[in-house]
Amino acid sequence: MAENTDRSVCPATVQLLGKAQQEGVSTAFFRADQVKPCPIGADGSCCRNCAMGPCRVLLPRGKSDLEVEVTGVCGATTDTISARNFLRMIAAGAAAHSDHGRAVAETLIAAAKGEAPGYSVKDEYKLMKLALDFGIEVGDRPIEDIAVDVGRAALAQFSQQEGELAFIKKAPLKRQEIWHKLGVVPRGIDREVVEALHRTHMGVDQDAESLLMHGMRVALADGWGGSMIGTELQDVLFGTPQPILGQVNPGVLKPDHVNVIVHGHEPLLSEMMVMAAEDPEMLALARAKGAQGINVAGICCTANEILMRHGIPIAGNFLQQELAIVTGVVDAMVVDVQCIMQSLPKVAQCYHTRIITTSNRAHIPGATHIEFHEHDALNAARAIVRAAIEAFPHRTGRVEVPAHQVDFVAGFSHETIDYLLGGMFRASYRPLNDNIINGRIRGVAGVVGCNNPRVEHDAVHVAMVKELIKNDVLVLQTGCSAIACAKAGLLTPEAAGQHAGGGLAEVCETVGLPPVIHMGSCVDNSRILMAATAMVKEGGLGDDISDLPAAGAAPEWMSEKAISIGQYFVASGVFTVFGVTWPTTGSEKFTRMLFEGLEEKVKARWAYEPDPIKAARCMIEHIDARRKALGIDKARERVLYDMAMRRELEAL
Amino acid sequence: MCEKVEVKEEKTRFDGVKVEVLGPTYEPGKPAGQEEGSWRRKLHDREEMLKYLKTGERYWYSGDWYGSERRKNPA
Repeated sequence: MAENTDRSVCPATVQLLGKAQQEGVSTAFFRADQVKPCPIGADGSCCRNCAMGPCRVLLPRGKSDLEVEVTGVCGATTDTISARNFLRMIAAGAAAHSDHGRAVAETLIAAAKGEAPGYSVKDEYKLMKLALDFGIEVGDRPIEDIAVDVGRAALAQFSQQEGELAFIKKAPLKRQEIWHKLGVVPRGIDREVVEALHRTHMGVDQDAESLLMHGMRVALADGWGGSMIGTELQDVLFGTPQPILGQVNPGVLKPDHVNVIVHGHEPLLSEMMVMAAEDPEMLALARAKGAQGINVAGICCTANEILMRHGIPIAGNFLQQELAIVTGVVDAMVVDVQCIMQSLPKVAQCYHTRIITTSNRAHIPGATHIEFHEHDALNAARAIVRAAIEAFPHRTGRVEVPAHQVDFVAGFSHETIDYLLGGMFRASYRPLNDNIINGRIRGVAGVVGCNNPRVEHDAVHVAMVKELIKNDVLVLQTGCSAIACAKAGLLTPEAAGQHAGGGLAEVCETVGLPPVIHMGSCVDNSRILMAATAMVKEGGLGDDISDLPAAGAAPEWMSEKAISIGQYFVASGVFTVFGVTWPTTGSEKFTRMLFEGLEEKVKARWAYEPDPIKAARCMIEHIDARRKALGIDKARERVLYDMAMRRELEAL
Repeated sequence: MCEKVEVKEEKTRFDGVKVEVLGPTYEPGKPAGQEEGSWRRKLHDREEMLKYLKTGERYWYSGDWYGSERRKNPA
């Protein structure tokens, strides 16, 4: 059995794992020792799509599906089964992100109609932007009317049956051309997800390549559809993030306060939780129970959302959700959707913590359900805060809050980067492109994704990111990956001087940026798509995302959303590396299609490398290849053009 | 008249020679006041917002700018 020091590089996590062990509390770290991964499922070689099986399409030892054909009862081959499983993962991930976006669109409409007290349009600028995207008239119309139209237009993207998603038009023209040629432009978000389930039903699509092509369509419906709608409309409702100082790790919990943790992915309720926690009546009630105040902290992506807009501290990432309760000071943990472990109520039984579910889509046995509706959100939030206050005097067991707390800067939206680099007068990505061209910045990497107890917690994220910035690669982050690097102290401007290569450090110092940029929650990977597109459109780095010296990675991934995100990155032209495990290894043919064949179609491909340093070097190698293709791999003589030379250029 | 700056620090010059330079003159501390850095406050009305969108985000909202995509035979 592993030592706790081998389970995580986060000292607070190691400390709390020790406490959990002493107190007999089961956590995902220990369960991972007991529950070994199913070797057939891990390879993607199990088809359970009908009752003739489940069929295990295992190849003879040492043989691949290129040499031997093994089929299920219906005759489905290993590559078909692998492709079907992969497509189903993409569909589930896209469905999760899209349902998130849909809830935000519905809340925006309700808020604009005055049917959702507490919510309003916080960012008119962003609303104008969306009105332009959707072709909605602005003029002198009341803001509420525009918001209703924008909300309805966004909602219509889900059920649209024909045509193309509106945000597809924002992609570089050349990328759109590739998608058109391949026939993978999404029509409507729900339609593509439903078609994925239809295609993978017994006896429908039986061609791995055809299944993969639809996988791209579904993933694009996520990245340039559901996720982008979620991100953009949340900005309208809650404000577009701007750089903000935050704190991270369980050390943000306060033993003398009522501690409420918001965990999950949708910030709709947690925004109201912030308001409820500041309510004088609630504060008075907390004091009457002996607390000094009410402390709200976050876990996972809900944490990223409310941090970026309110500076609410983060208690940890995905694998720290159980450990936060182990501190003994969490009075209520409020969960919405996604990445919530069913073990929470069981862990909470060892303490006094109330686990409160709030979404009608996510119930957990043993938890209290206080349903949240946007038309009565503040009252739901107040009921939750009250429950936490009531729990406060019943704290049991030993209280231990690790004294680890790290400062970091978050909240870099695409708009903020545009402003930080160019200012009001000339908002622009020009300085970034120029510094990539002149070689100070070697390239850009998006390192995102979850935690997975099959690898050392946070270690892979941190090692990869350190290797990248050391080699002058600017890193963009979201989700639990961003939290991991924040804990390691990489998300401060000072980190540039300590960890980044000379060129990157120089640029970061000049602009005042950290070398690792926190862009939000996992739904906000759409911001990375926007940033990449802005770099292309700014000029000088080719005319497609696949031309950029850029790469993506999810080194500790675990969720289906990560596969969907990875696929939309690849489909958008980004070379993408995953770690931990790879879900199609049972079929060499299909795996080759993902790792090699896709390059020909979309000029990008998947890769799998569990070693973070090797993976980072693989990304750097790709970045260098793109630099070479752009002709910016070596210093060039400066040529001052005279008018004749310019005319000659124009004539080309 | 400016106050005399007392803070100095030693740095290494490009040729390896140690030099004394003026140190930071700002007060150490952490930024406070979320709204202080809010550039959106500079956009007062809808007209300014739309104007900023069409210039600042010209890639998407200005008809006459396509960056590297501006070419004779568009993709």
